[in-house]
Amino acid sequence: MSGKKIARLKHFLRGHFSLYLAVIVLAFVAGAAIFAGMIAPFDPLEIDPGNILSSPSASHWLGTDEIGRDLLSRIIYGARVSLSVALAAVCLACVFGIPIGVFAAFAGQRLENAIMRIIDVFVSLPEIFVAIFVLAFFGNSLPTLIFTIGLLYFPQFAKVAHSMARSIKAREYVLAAVSLGAGPTRIIWREILPNMWSVIIVQISFTFSFAMLLEAGLSFLGLGVMPPMPSWGQMVGRLKDYLFNNPWPVVFPSIVLFITILAINLLGDWLQDRLNPELEE
Amino acid sequence: MLKFLGRRLAASILIMAIASTVVFFSIHILPGDPVLILLGEQGASNPEVVARIRGQLHLDVSLPQQFWLWLKGLAVGDLGKSLENDLPVAEVISRRIPRSLEIIIAGLVLAATLGIPLGTIAARRRRRFHGTLASALAVVGFSSPVFVTGILLVIFFSLWLGLLPSSGYIAFSEDPLQHLLFLCMPALAIGINFMGVVTRVSRASLTDILRRDFIRAARAKGLSASHTVYRHALPNALIPVITVIGVRSGNLLGGTVIIESLFDWPGLSSLLVHACFARDYPVIQGTLLAIFAMFILISLLIDLCLGLIDPRMRVQS
Repeated sequence: MSGKKIARLKHFLRGHFSLYLAVIVLAFVAGAAIFAGMIAPFDPLEIDPGNILSSPSASHWLGTDEIGRDLLSRIIYGARVSLSVALAAVCLACVFGIPIGVFAAFAGQRLENAIMRIIDVFVSLPEIFVAIFVLAFFGNSLPTLIFTIGLLYFPQFAKVAHSMARSIKAREYVLAAVSLGAGPTRIIWREILPNMWSVIIVQISFTFSFAMLLEAGLSFLGLGVMPPMPSWGQMVGRLKDYLFNNPWPVVFPSIVLFITILAINLLGDWLQDRLNPELEE
Repeated sequence: MLKFLGRRLAASILIMAIASTVVFFSIHILPGDPVLILLGEQGASNPEVVARIRGQLHLDVSLPQQFWLWLKGLAVGDLGKSLENDLPVAEVISRRIPRSLEIIIAGLVLAATLGIPLGTIAARRRRRFHGTLASALAVVGFSSPVFVTGILLVIFFSLWLGLLPSSGYIAFSEDPLQHLLFLCMPALAIGINFMGVVTRVSRASLTDILRRDFIRAARAKGLSASHTVYRHALPNALIPVITVIGVRSGNLLGGTVIIESLFDWPGLSSLLVHACFARDYPVIQGTLLAIFAMFILISLLIDLCLGLIDPRMRVQS
């Protein structure tokens, strides 16, 4: 590579260094989740009773857990569980939240106020308590978990979609469309929705990290993803009890969880700066 | 000011009334019979036990009567008795509330004392090393799940350095020094997480304020840069910070669930988790109610603070 090219690359990387790191990390995690079966060196459920809570070694790269299962394999399969729970929950939140928000913006003053008041109450609820309550009472299956997390975050989408729809509705090009005879359906599909995707994308990235954190927290407490299915939060929750026997096993899932959420947040920050520079926090 | 206070108080009471109704009905939205779920198949085969539990939960009378009993109990501070150990729920809860509040307040103080200066640095030295470092610290704090921070703190301070006890609780009246040692790590774990939020908001808000005309005017009349920032910009920038602390107080409360479980801190949230596993309905209902009350109280206090600092708030909404 010529000196000029290296200089240009350096310049580019300096501005976006953390972003590239984040994208690489997320690509790795997503790859691990998708191809878990191919890359995991062991069966994540295979027990090796003679080899429990071991430190990293040549055969078990990250060591083993409290009943001798390979940690690396469990972290790889855990990526699949943690990411898909968060993804499903975010999709659910979008599917419920965006239509409600847009509907509220077109529903007329009274109904709009009523809907948004209810949404405000939902937004202010402390999520984890509601989740603990629902999971403890309705039993903790994977669909219940996804549904709970999705329902907890749909009000945020409704709020964002509502405020965007309201502000877009007042713009001149929408007035122009109305004066040309466009009905509300056409306005929503052709004017409102295409113009709010940038804000929605940023909301998706932040909600994704919140959903992952919530799933991890609930699984840590033993209320989320149930064993033997591995999730990162659940692994940390179980291995923390053996911290004084060997701290290594608990460190790895903790760090992986932390780095993944960090990467999602960095990506979200970048998207925010890039797509909506006028809106900060 | 009085009108503002009255309006906020009325809203809080209304929300509390809704919360207590929801908590009351929670036991009735259960699919299936709560007593049978509680006792399991074997326990439910004994009709005497079933009848006793039913009586304890007031499930043997009609629904309106149950609601009336629940409200009557609330009015005199009676939340029923724990199914597990027969202790009065209100008493257990009132003993645990100060412990949870202690972690929250310690964490909040830490977050503010670390986060506001970091946010100021991040806003003033935006594209330089210090500012970038401060912003990076904020993202790291913000992204680290509380239990990950907590576990890393335990590994560092207890396992490696042997400085702090890894978990547990000693009452302040028994041994003040030990009490504070036990408090260190839970408060730090919550504080570091919340510091990220405080830093980000104070950075964004200060950056915005520093672009305003009155700042340029202050500089133009010859005030030093630091005088402008600390006397003119920062007080104005703190208003959104307090608002966000209020909005996110739910996160702080939520953080205590995990922290209390990780550090064996006998607060309100650990009681809730324990009661959920034991299906101890009176305790679950009482704890949820207390947590909602705490949450509403914190929001009310934050609103009052804002009303005192920012006169515009008293007129709006």
